Amino acid sequence: MAFNKPRKRRKNSQKAEDKEDFSIKLNTNLDDNIENIKKLLDDPNDLVTRTFSIGHTKYTCAVAYIDGLTNTTLINQMIIRNVQAEVESPETKVSEAGAPLLDRLYNEWLSVGGVKKAYSLDDVSLAILSGNTVILVGGTDQVIIIDTQGGPERAVEEPTTERLIRGPKVGFTENIRTNTVFIRKRIRDANLRFQSYKIGRRSKKTLIVTYIDGIVHPNLISEVNKRLKTIDLDDAAESGFIEQWIEDSFLTPFPQLEHTERPDKVAQALTDGKVAILLEGTPFALIAPITFSNMLHSPEDYYERWLFSTLIRFLRYLAAFIAVFLPALYIALLSYHPGLIPYKLAFFIAASREGVPFTAAVEAFMMEITMELLREAGFRVPQPIGQTIGIVGGIVIGQAAVAAGIVSPIMVIIVAITAISSFSLPAYGLAISFRILRFGFMLAAAIFGLYGIILAYIVVNIHIVNLKSFGVPYSTPFAPSFKGGWKDIVIRAPLTTLGKRPGYMKPKDKKRMNKGGNTS
Amino acid sequence: MKPFDYADEKIGQKEIGFALPSLVIGVSILSLPRVVADTTKFADGWVSVLIAGLLSLLFTWITATLVSRFPNQSFLDYSSKLISKPLALSLTLFMILYFVLFTAFEINYIAILTKQYLLDETPKEIISFVFLLLVIYAVAGSRAALFRLNILFLPIVVIVLLILLIGALSVFDPKHLFPLFKTNWMGYLKGVKGSFLAMTGWEILLIYSALIRPPVKAVKPAIIGMCVPIILYLLLYIVTIGVYSNIVTRNLVFPTVELAKEVEIPGGIFERAETLFFTVWIMTIFSTASIFYDVSVMTISSIFKKTKKAIIIFILAPIIYVISMLPKSFIEVTNFGHFISFMAYFAAFIIPALLLLIAKIRRIREDKEGMA
Repeated sequence: MAFNKPRKRRKNSQKAEDKEDFSIKLNTNLDDNIENIKKLLDDPNDLVTRTFSIGHTKYTCAVAYIDGLTNTTLINQMIIRNVQAEVESPETKVSEAGAPLLDRLYNEWLSVGGVKKAYSLDDVSLAILSGNTVILVGGTDQVIIIDTQGGPERAVEEPTTERLIRGPKVGFTENIRTNTVFIRKRIRDANLRFQSYKIGRRSKKTLIVTYIDGIVHPNLISEVNKRLKTIDLDDAAESGFIEQWIEDSFLTPFPQLEHTERPDKVAQALTDGKVAILLEGTPFALIAPITFSNMLHSPEDYYERWLFSTLIRFLRYLAAFIAVFLPALYIALLSYHPGLIPYKLAFFIAASREGVPFTAAVEAFMMEITMELLREAGFRVPQPIGQTIGIVGGIVIGQAAVAAGIVSPIMVIIVAITAISSFSLPAYGLAISFRILRFGFMLAAAIFGLYGIILAYIVVNIHIVNLKSFGVPYSTPFAPSFKGGWKDIVIRAPLTTLGKRPGYMKPKDKKRMNKGGNTS
Repeated sequence: MKPFDYADEKIGQKEIGFALPSLVIGVSILSLPRVVADTTKFADGWVSVLIAGLLSLLFTWITATLVSRFPNQSFLDYSSKLISKPLALSLTLFMILYFVLFTAFEINYIAILTKQYLLDETPKEIISFVFLLLVIYAVAGSRAALFRLNILFLPIVVIVLLILLIGALSVFDPKHLFPLFKTNWMGYLKGVKGSFLAMTGWEILLIYSALIRPPVKAVKPAIIGMCVPIILYLLLYIVTIGVYSNIVTRNLVFPTVELAKEVEIPGGIFERAETLFFTVWIMTIFSTASIFYDVSVMTISSIFKKTKKAIIIFILAPIIYVISMLPKSFIEVTNFGHFISFMAYFAAFIIPALLLLIAKIRRIREDKEGMA
């Protein structure tokens, strides 16, 4: 695909091109190094550089970090205090400056877990800007980077876009470390893998690909990695950038990666043999590959008992049908096939439409667009006046439009049912595509009636069978179907009968439970 | 980007098993009860349908056995080995003509039916044109996707047909079925002949054999796949006669669709079930048309190996459209149908049987068994 062709990578050439007044290498002089860092960052006021002596020795070292990005308590207690105070014991004899001194700092005096050495100003600047602390020592061109990331972050909350009645109440946050923790806390498997990337020329955000080795098909991992490696952009503000970059086709209304805020959903996807992608700075993780039926499933389907879940799934497929087809059917039946409507209802509709100056198609388009406007306005307005939108929408438009004879009451009912149905879909990404499809179906119905609807339905089906998400046909497990796949599409069979992972993922380890139980 | 296909792209047994009934169930089933009832008395037509069905199974078996001797070879390739190359080429050309005409027939028929049951004012040309565009869109995609489409559609179509049959049972009158066996031999034979057009379809195996993996196992799914329409036809015929009686069935243009008129949708949500039935039926007509179109494309590309698929599709499209527009009246369309079923005798019976016979006599087989 054209957009995925490997692009020429500009390797930080900028700094080399315009000759700056600082050197890009670290040198052995402590003051020069600090000066270099300051010049590189143009001496911002949130950059803290502090030179202090090491205990009672004659040597000095310096820390540099960005205020606010770091955990200042950690720096003060474990780094500065340790080095200043703990080194004062008489047996600590420091004889050499430079590298040996740095090693002793590294090995003995820094009471922090995440410590590593670095050798270039590039690493140093990236470390400082990521919220790490750098320790510089005179006489060597090595520095120590200490993991002190901190700074303000949102507390863990219940995911707002995917609420469940039953299920864990934690959602991902913007902090990628928190997010990996949530996954680790759910899967304590030694084969859980986290592969990290730096994404963004400017933003250098961390992106983590996670999967369970031994379940996932190796081709999937190599394909995901291959696609991720082509990403080269200034900043991926949200995982949507990643999604749009690595998806199979952009000529489709359907999402090919699922986004979720729920750690339990990610954990379940991983055990199914899928891959999840986490990006720093967004609570939305991506899951790949996905299929059409995945998008109509909710994690709660597995938490509730199978009978209820099955019925809820029926309801959801019905909701999907209504969300896409109902306005189109209204148009088709009223404009082309009034004979299909039971005659009593037909009389009622005819009576209620009396005086409505527009055709059914115009009426439906007007109301659906109004509904879209209301929905959009409802998202955008500040919370306190959100109520107003409801009143304006519900009373003014619904009631007044009918009273004024612009639309028929039955149309208002249709719009309302359609909206409710599309809100009851578990995956927002699919709900969006259904909104697009709905207008397409309405257009088809306006032109060709039922013939148009069935043709449009066939078009959507052709599109879906041709669409793939990371090589998995979007229409799986309907077609191609897999043995036992029917147990978890429309119905959700009792949990103990779902002993195998989904066949279309071609998992290396097929069984996910042992019905006989662990008797040993 | 290199295709990443760990969810295999192949035409397996299941796909063949679905493709055959999707192909066979098309437009002919809609008029089948009339055609058969025309030459038989009371409900005796089921004998004709059964004989035609058994013959179809036999020839499906012959065709599948033939192609399983030549794994991964195109029709042109293996027929060249059996009969000389020029002869094989002319056979291939004949097949192309047959498939193209069949596609055009389906596209013509959809316009007739749609005009009758859905859109009485829209011009035939537009109805066909939109439908043809759809078929092109399906064929332009990958072949595996086309098979997936059949797997999606066939269950819907079969379930709708079964609902129709069950729903019509409320007005089913067993008296219409008796007495049994009052038809003479000629009547039965004519009935068999009449029902063939609704049964042909296994000849696509001649072409698709190049894709089937493993090819040796094509026989079983093909037979099972063919059983689906045959059983449905038998049930349909008996129910139609039971509901309408022989005399009425003879005079209905599309008895199968009319049957839906007798079905009452519970709760009275919709009236006129026949409109809904036909709307769903468009899906299977679409399957038939798209498979025939795809087979035509595949046969042509076996001759012009270097031509791109897209080019063949777009050259073929106007040809099919023009042919489909040629028959103007319903009688002309029916005659067109007769002509195609005449060609089908060659395509579906004589050619496979002859080729298998030659292969047996000359002992040519290129599957593993033959090699060993």
